[in-house]
Amino acid sequence: MATVIKKYPFETVRRRMSLLPAVLAGLGLAAFMQGQIDPDAKQFHPKDNFGKTANGGLNNEFLLLPLLGFREAAAGLLWVRCDEFFHSGDYDAILPLVRLITWLDPHAENVYITGAWHLAYNFTDANERSDRRYIAPSQSLLEEGVENNFDIPDIKFELGWQRYDKIKDFKGAEEAFKLAVATKVNKNSDDFPYGAPLKTLHILAHTYEKQGRIPEALEEWKLAIARSEEMLARSPKDYSAKSLHEAEVRNYAENIQRFNNRYSTTGHDSVNPSPYPEVLEPPPGSADKTPRSWDVAFKPELRIVRPKVFKVGGQFNSQDGARIDVRITDWNYQDRKITGTLNDFSVDPAQTILIDSISVRKNHFEREMDMSKDPKMYSFSQDFYRVVLSYNPRTTAPHLLDRFGWSGEGMTDAEKSHVFMDTDPDRTGTAYIEGQGAVPPVWDGKTVPFTNHSQPLRLIKVTYKISREQIMNQKPISENDIVSVQ
Amino acid sequence: MAAAISIQGLTKKYVDVWQKQEVIAVNNLNLEVQEGEIFGFLGRNGAGKTTTIKMLLGLVFPTAGDATLLGKAMGDNSVKSQLAYLPEETYFYDSMTGWDLLDYYGRLFRIPEPERSRRVQICLEKVRLQKDAWRRSIRGYSKGMRQRTGIAQALINDPKLLFLDEPTSGLDPIAHAELREIVASLKDEGKTVFLSSHQLADVEIICSRVAIIHRGKLLTTGTIKELTAGERTEIVVQGKAVTNGLLGKLQALVPDTERTGSDTLMLRTEDDDKISAIIDIVRGAEAHVLSIVPHRRALEDVFVETVRREEASA
Amino acid sequence: MVAIAIARQTVREALRRRVFWIFLIVAVFLIGLGPVLGFLTPKESQTIMRSLGLAVILLAGLFITIVTCIYLIPVEIERRTIYTVLSKPVQRFEFVLGKFLGGFAIVFLSIAAMGAVFLALVYFQGTTRGPDAGVLVWLTSGKFPKEMVLGVVLTFFQMMLLAALTIFFSTFATPVLNFFMSFGIFIVGNLSSVTESLTTSKNGLTSAIGKIIHYMLPNFGNFNVQNAIIHPTTEISNQGVFIRNNIIYALIYSAVLLILAVIIFDRREV
Repeated sequence: MATVIKKYPFETVRRRMSLLPAVLAGLGLAAFMQGQIDPDAKQFHPKDNFGKTANGGLNNEFLLLPLLGFREAAAGLLWVRCDEFFHSGDYDAILPLVRLITWLDPHAENVYITGAWHLAYNFTDANERSDRRYIAPSQSLLEEGVENNFDIPDIKFELGWQRYDKIKDFKGAEEAFKLAVATKVNKNSDDFPYGAPLKTLHILAHTYEKQGRIPEALEEWKLAIARSEEMLARSPKDYSAKSLHEAEVRNYAENIQRFNNRYSTTGHDSVNPSPYPEVLEPPPGSADKTPRSWDVAFKPELRIVRPKVFKVGGQFNSQDGARIDVRITDWNYQDRKITGTLNDFSVDPAQTILIDSISVRKNHFEREMDMSKDPKMYSFSQDFYRVVLSYNPRTTAPHLLDRFGWSGEGMTDAEKSHVFMDTDPDRTGTAYIEGQGAVPPVWDGKTVPFTNHSQPLRLIKVTYKISREQIMNQKPISENDIVSVQ
Repeated sequence: MAAAISIQGLTKKYVDVWQKQEVIAVNNLNLEVQEGEIFGFLGRNGAGKTTTIKMLLGLVFPTAGDATLLGKAMGDNSVKSQLAYLPEETYFYDSMTGWDLLDYYGRLFRIPEPERSRRVQICLEKVRLQKDAWRRSIRGYSKGMRQRTGIAQALINDPKLLFLDEPTSGLDPIAHAELREIVASLKDEGKTVFLSSHQLADVEIICSRVAIIHRGKLLTTGTIKELTAGERTEIVVQGKAVTNGLLGKLQALVPDTERTGSDTLMLRTEDDDKISAIIDIVRGAEAHVLSIVPHRRALEDVFVETVRREEASA
Repeated sequence: MVAIAIARQTVREALRRRVFWIFLIVAVFLIGLGPVLGFLTPKESQTIMRSLGLAVILLAGLFITIVTCIYLIPVEIERRTIYTVLSKPVQRFEFVLGKFLGGFAIVFLSIAAMGAVFLALVYFQGTTRGPDAGVLVWLTSGKFPKEMVLGVVLTFFQMMLLAALTIFFSTFATPVLNFFMSFGIFIVGNLSSVTESLTTSKNGLTSAIGKIIHYMLPNFGNFNVQNAIIHPTTEISNQGVFIRNNIIYALIYSAVLLILAVIIFDRREV
């Protein structure tokens, strides 16, 4: 390339520079005109025409781009537009965009993640209770995202986290987190030389614990500790690795201690020979020192105070911190079945589902649940409804677990029909240690103890079958409405 | 006579950005072309001929120096109506017909109708373009027809000063001769022609003065006669007497004398005045002059010598 | 005027290019496809035909404009014809202006041709026409969809601005580079609804960049009104002012680009 040394000998050429101010003035004028145009132009931007519905349109530019092959660019721009809707609270408008963007760019992992989060958490009733009908499409979106982005851990992690945190499906969460951990190692990833970030191992350990599968949780903690030690050996000043490492060591020790305390006689006196040293104790102050299960003496009360307004309450004999789960659904409620392509995120307007939990204080719990204010969420268009009040030790606080055991082994109710044995192998926990033919854990960290988990989950559970009339407060609810069907 | 072109210290430098090398296309050129003359501007390819013309016409800008055309500063738009330019190897707008092309250029000179059509016709006739080709598109023209059209477009404004860049290159002999005649005829109309060429035979025939440029530097300038000056005459003498002292006598007069056969001598001299003396000596001996052949130097010889000398000294 | 002569010549030369006619014929064919596709879904036939028609006019206009205008000046330099022009008493600004006017005329001709076919289809599709109404009655009656003409006209001014931009770039860039620059700025300039929202960003840098893009770069998005006009129920207030402002904007910005082109081209060695 050759440039040229030259002078401009001609007057006209020199004079032409005097046009530069005119250029600047012209640009200024153009900017001014732009300011004049913008307010009117808004009418032509479809978002402002269709503010309130999910049918919000897209400008030409968005359609021009994919037409020319700029799929990802179009997807990116649409996502920017989506962000505006998040700010304006225009939640319905986001759903079709999320669908369109992930179709345009199936590798837009943050769109899958944010979209699924949005579905699962942002549609709520007047009391901030999520619309559970969106869980199925949210899960389906994440599953699609995992399939399209199998080589990154992020969406798998999100899938697991939603199952763990929102659905309390710990078995499903375990599968998703395992999938994340098994992600192919990628040199360009921040997680190199691992497939997934360290936190995935942590959450997987917690997931095992939530399932009452303590030896596997311990094993996972050991893997995490080994990995953080490796990381620290590589970069001793890595502060986050250091704090993660400390947390791992602490959690590992805590799990061992609890496992020991709850499921072994190690270190306990001989007064209580029970294989459940903590979970099977004689009631305090009782003359009979025979170890026995704790009677929670569940006495549920269910009333309708106004049409579609439930009063749920009752007695539950436990320490503070227990939570009674409430689930009000159509009698035959089933999550939306999504097979094949997820074409839309719509929900069935005829379905009703509410999930809530009430904390127990001084052996008593009570809450009024107003389902009358959200007819879009709670249409009550069926004839019969299922109201389930239950207590699940798996989701309860550690100090209660000390008494009840991870699988509720030490928990009972004098009313036998309240005790529900969940024998689903997906939810069985570690069997207690002694007297069950199992070998105590080898704490040197070399042996993996107790890979078998055969202890069924014990729940306290009461199911009502009530009619629409009862919900409309035209007929009272009584104990006769409690059904034995589990 | 006034100067049609006057060039003072015209210089054009390029810088190769990657090589960080300066290339001097035209180096401090000084030149005067008088009105009414056909001036030959000679040089090898890349010598700087086209760059010079482009600077004069304001197509590129000089690094230094100045020039006037017909008394006005170069680049002055007003003088351009009296100029004409035929670039080397122009494709023209080959979808147009010859007539339309000239009409277009006539418009650029702001020549109004019906004067414009008259001019178009005059010019096409002058360059002897076949009439049936006038309304055909240039795409189908032969090289010679294109060059004729090119000269015709240069004449459309009846210019005073023409810049012709290689107008005759690549033509067949007949077209070549015809175009040469057309260019030569411009002189008769009182036009000044600045002819850039390396077709030295043409230049020698039609140009009154020439300049030789090499690597941007003006090597020499002058009339053809001045440049080719220095005639050499070869005289062949025959006779039995060649051995009897005649050789010695002639060598005394003309040092470049040699024996070319048993009874022949060859003399070469650039001094015409010596010829009669030689004849007198030969007559006096028993010999006769077989031939007297004058040898002129061709422009080509001058060009080659000049350029070679410059390259040797560089 | 010399510029007019150059413009005339430019149009003549451009009309000789095969690519121009290919684009135009394909575009007209696609516009004609509108009613055919419309039969598939009778309820939406009007929407599909109008939307497809306006989109094709935009796309074909875009390619015709860029492909034509990027070559107008470079081809003269490459073929050395520019020497024969600029050595004549032709100012360089006249040359640039002539080239722009030529490009402008090409854009006008192609948009007008496509627009005419499109409007003819709107007429024959008959949804806005009485059963027996003739063309004149239709044009003068209130049933004539004026907003379709508006869509075509605004596309034309959009293309005029693009032509000025492309010619501006062609004074210093090669055709290939020019293609990418013009096309790139067209795309960015089309994102006006996005760039406008960027101007109000809380992040100072983002907002500054957004402002520069939105106010300084040619804003092609202004002219995109297709969506609103395809749905005839949409009420547009201030429509006259909006159109006037857009046309003024296109004229001012094109003038700015032409002046810049002249300043650069005055210094260009050919």
